[in-house]
Amino acid sequence: MSVEQETFVDRYPQEAELVRRAFLVAFTALGLGALFGIIQALHRTNVLRFIPSTDYYTVLTAHGVLMVIVFTIFYLVGLYQWAITRSLDRSPTNINFTRAWLTLMTVGSALTGITILLGFVDQVGISADVLFTFYAPLQAHPLFYTGLVVFIIGTWLAGVDWFRTWLHWKQDNPDERIPLQTFMVLTSMIMWYVATIGVAVATLFFLLPWSLGFIETVNPLLTRTLFWFFGHPVVYFWLLPAYMLWYTVLPKLAGGRLFSDPLARVVFVLFVLLSTPVGIHHQYVDPGIAEGFKFIAMTNTMFLLLPSLLTAFTVVASMEHGARQRGGEGLFGWLTVLPWRDPAFTGMALAGLMFAAGGFSGMINAGMNINYLIHNTIWVPGHFHLTVGTAVALTFMAGTYWLWPQLTNRRIYSRPIGLLQVVMWFGGMALMSNSMHVAGLYGVPRRTAEPEYAGFDFNTAFGSISELNIQLAVGGTLLFVSTLLFLGNLGLSMGNPKVEGLGQSLPEPLSGASDSPRVLDNMKLWAGIALLLVALAYVLPLGAIIQNGGLFGMGGDAYPVSVLGAFDGLDAVRELLGVVR
Amino acid sequence: MSRGVPAVEDEEEVAEGEQSVSAPVTQEEPERKLTHEEFDPKGTLALILTYFAVLAVMWVFMYFVEFLGNDLIVVG
Amino acid sequence: MHIHQYEKLWLGMSLLLIVGFIATITYGAVGVGVTMVDDSGGNVNPNALDEHPEFSDPGVEQVGENEYEAHVVARQFIFQPDPIVVPANSTVTFYVTSADVIHGFSVVGTNANTMVIPGEVSEVTVEVNEAGEYGLICHEYCGSGHHTMEGILRVVPEGEYNSSDGGEQ
Repeated sequence: MSVEQETFVDRYPQEAELVRRAFLVAFTALGLGALFGIIQALHRTNVLRFIPSTDYYTVLTAHGVLMVIVFTIFYLVGLYQWAITRSLDRSPTNINFTRAWLTLMTVGSALTGITILLGFVDQVGISADVLFTFYAPLQAHPLFYTGLVVFIIGTWLAGVDWFRTWLHWKQDNPDERIPLQTFMVLTSMIMWYVATIGVAVATLFFLLPWSLGFIETVNPLLTRTLFWFFGHPVVYFWLLPAYMLWYTVLPKLAGGRLFSDPLARVVFVLFVLLSTPVGIHHQYVDPGIAEGFKFIAMTNTMFLLLPSLLTAFTVVASMEHGARQRGGEGLFGWLTVLPWRDPAFTGMALAGLMFAAGGFSGMINAGMNINYLIHNTIWVPGHFHLTVGTAVALTFMAGTYWLWPQLTNRRIYSRPIGLLQVVMWFGGMALMSNSMHVAGLYGVPRRTAEPEYAGFDFNTAFGSISELNIQLAVGGTLLFVSTLLFLGNLGLSMGNPKVEGLGQSLPEPLSGASDSPRVLDNMKLWAGIALLLVALAYVLPLGAIIQNGGLFGMGGDAYPVSVLGAFDGLDAVRELLGVVR
Repeated sequence: MSRGVPAVEDEEEVAEGEQSVSAPVTQEEPERKLTHEEFDPKGTLALILTYFAVLAVMWVFMYFVEFLGNDLIVVG
Repeated sequence: MHIHQYEKLWLGMSLLLIVGFIATITYGAVGVGVTMVDDSGGNVNPNALDEHPEFSDPGVEQVGENEYEAHVVARQFIFQPDPIVVPANSTVTFYVTSADVIHGFSVVGTNANTMVIPGEVSEVTVEVNEAGEYGLICHEYCGSGHHTMEGILRVVPEGEYNSSDGGEQ
């Protein structure tokens, strides 16, 4: 076996095992999430209703949390562990530490996940039907918030692990530029540390003590604003691993090389700086926040389009480079020589195409006053099923077709099934997302079990609501089948024999790291500026919210989603201590 | 990229037969090699300018027709 | 750091696009006069709406020649009052608050769309033109009966509007 064909698992068996373990959790969540997805798609369109509508919200919470917290972030940590190990060519400083944070994340996810799923069993009295956003004063069982905290601490330790590996590498290689994939890992984690301040404060200081009964009230606008402090950058946390695959793997799949390494670095730095001071754009029609703050969030958000627009160019140019090297000619003729039969390539390319469409609806969402038109309509989930639901999810699945053999030394079971799977995802999402966008413009709301009302009908400019419903249900069904094909294909791959020679290398960029200024590699600088921008964007609005509405709100009860009422932590403590009341 | 073995630059033909899904197409030597200087991504430019035009037209439609043409404009 | 000239062109056009978007929105705000829901509605204790001068008896009242104020309470899973009745060709300011959890207030198929957050009052002013009937829905998940939370906004001809009954018919 020549050294060129050595796979990741040959060289780093322990790390490969951890990457596989992270992917296993991710794909378990993907499977469950897809099941809940199809239940929703059929329920809300009234094609098939086999659960009571009150349980719809348990399904919706589980779908959201499993897909965008568990699936995306476990895939991220698996991919990033692979990327940092291979690009630094170095094992973690202490692999037991790596095992520890992965375990912590898994335990946290399991706690939160089980708490949500117990919502189906009324007798237990534990529930967390608070959706992905868990807005107070709806109150989940304390285990929901506890699991979330444990999970987030796990991700923080993952970042510590990766920074430590990098610092040790730096001691050995003082003059070298940070390898691109490591650069992407580190910048993503800086962004994550900044972003999670919001959700950590909301959960640890307010929601968890409140759900335990230690504090009486919270300020719903404050915890909501802290959620969105985290809630927008988290979407880039989903997206950046997909960008990593587009920048470093897709050019290879296309048979070319990355167009520009320096620009890739600039893009990731822009995400560090701009992805957090924008969260208020989710609150354009919230009371209690002055219009000026909304306008600032809007301008920041618009400039955040820049790194994605630059990415579109660089990534397409890298594909074109591959096509030209493969003999492609003409203004558009080169598109035909791309390796469209390769599911890894086609999946990523179609994901990128859908991201371009999702980019447009995102621009509408970013526009402050036009938010009146689409806020909380089904347009919004139509948008993010193009972005996280396709640009991210489909890229992850396509990337898995490429990466999995190198983590297992086994070939993927079937290439045609893989190709069918990615194309089916694209087609299903085109139908589902289109119908959601259009219905949103007619005012059909998101997050509801039964979007049919007694007192009025939706006015449609063309077509009808029932046609849109059919489109949505068919699209959702295709997506579900596509997920099953993906999981089945991967599962059957484990029956393939282990072989040698599956190793794949990644080509150097056309314009390399040495072309970029060294200041780009200054992590402390970018972290500092990011914190400063966050402070500028958030200190005044948060101050005003606390000043007007109080740190713990104006009064108002908690509304536990469990049928048995709130968990009383003080009561539990008293019982434990044996204090007689 | 580092000098790590999984990231090596030079590639050779791999063993024949069905590869991992992506392997056959990507492990081949390209027909020609283009450097940064030799390569003008004119196809990319054409695609992205088309995208720009679509964005601009759709934006105008959404803002001025769908939004400002809608009922009950919020004025205070 | 050398950047390809096409890429520089695209960078410039991207910035143009961004500035164009911001300019459009600024035009909407300044030129057309679309304003955002903000902090002008003030704060209330959601547990003490019974004692509030307006929210204790939600409804519509005339405050100017052609100007009306509608105080609306959203609670699991109704709007009060329902229907909300206003005259055609008037300016109506909605003051909406919640007695319990976060709700939404959306006049279906229109731009009148705001969050309703306990402790805060959402203030939204709209120009109402012709007579007609709009659906009103809560568009934020507010508990297991969320999908049943709806109401009606009824715009009646000016002559038929009876101001003495607080907008309830």
